[in-house]
Amino acid sequence: MPRTLFRSVIVVALLIPVVHAATPVETQKARHEHYEKLGKAFKAVRDQTSTDSPDYAVLLQNAEIVNEASINQQQWFPKGTGPEAGKTRALPEIWTKPADFEAAQKMFSDRAPKLLAAAKAKDVDAVKAAFKDLGGACKNCHDAFRAPEH
Amino acid sequence: MTDVDSPPPSPEGAARIRVWDLPTRITHWLVALLVAISWWTAETGRLEWHRWSGYTLLGLVIFRLYWGFVGSSTAKFAGFVRGPRAIKGYLQGGWTTTAGHNPLGALSVVALLVLLVAQITLGLFAVDVDGIESGPLSLYVSFEAGRVAAHWHCDLFNVLLGLIALHIIAVLYYVFFRKQALVAAMVHGERAYPPPPPAPVQPASLLRLIIGIVIAAAITWAVTRAFRF
Repeated sequence: MPRTLFRSVIVVALLIPVVHAATPVETQKARHEHYEKLGKAFKAVRDQTSTDSPDYAVLLQNAEIVNEASINQQQWFPKGTGPEAGKTRALPEIWTKPADFEAAQKMFSDRAPKLLAAAKAKDVDAVKAAFKDLGGACKNCHDAFRAPEH
Repeated sequence: MTDVDSPPPSPEGAARIRVWDLPTRITHWLVALLVAISWWTAETGRLEWHRWSGYTLLGLVIFRLYWGFVGSSTAKFAGFVRGPRAIKGYLQGGWTTTAGHNPLGALSVVALLVLLVAQITLGLFAVDVDGIESGPLSLYVSFEAGRVAAHWHCDLFNVLLGLIALHIIAVLYYVFFRKQALVAAMVHGERAYPPPPPAPVQPASLLRLIIGIVIAAAITWAVTRAFRF
């Protein structure tokens, strides 16, 4: 019996993080951190492409972060995490125009693998081209779905 | 400039004196134009143009600083930057008119140049929130430091705007209330003074001008390359 109880406690303890749904504010905070990580990865890529001898290990590592983010971002905007939930630059249009938003996200996830492929191929010109292309995808979405900074 | 309490110069008997040389005037108006372009390109998100505008401003400010040491007499800092006693004296009317900046106007010139240097430097290190757009020297700093530079770059611009407004208001005051054609003087280089007129500007040699342009262009080019050759 004590063993069963012990096991039950373990099972319940393991379940806690699973059943605990993130509050909207927590989701917003996590989202912000995701994008900050993405921004850092972009800067790292840019820094490498502006040197004469880029470090392809660094390029690859950050291209992978970008690529993962391009897939994961589709989970970062659950309903109820817009401006109504707390301070965020995410615009209500994300939820009122879901088809447009999905298309904008798809542009990112379509282009990110090209950066990864270019980093794997150690082709700095292809990395630069893919980076510029990706920048266009970022801007495309930000212009429509992100509030200005001030 | 005439001292504060002297009457405005009358057209009859007024002597036209050359006050500003061409390099100083061109630099002044290009800086004014490029600050406006930098503002517009930043507001509308044209960051590629914003960088080019900033680089041009960097070159112009380097040239103006150089010209402040070896340029024409009215452009030289030693020729117009004065201490608090001279400023007080000027405000009390005890100032012998010279061609060029008066002791109070000198403060405006120095403050604007200092702010421009600070603003351009911050821009060189700035990183945008997405890590996509950045100044050429940002590869030497972390993402966080680049973001701080970007925020200061944004905030300091408002201070710069305030100083520019003050500069324009002061110039307009002299133009409309003291009848001194300062704007026209910055355009064609000459001003009318009541007799006896001050000594005109002493221009600097063409060689000095060429050296200054080469220095400004070389430093700017090196900065845009992030000092990698």
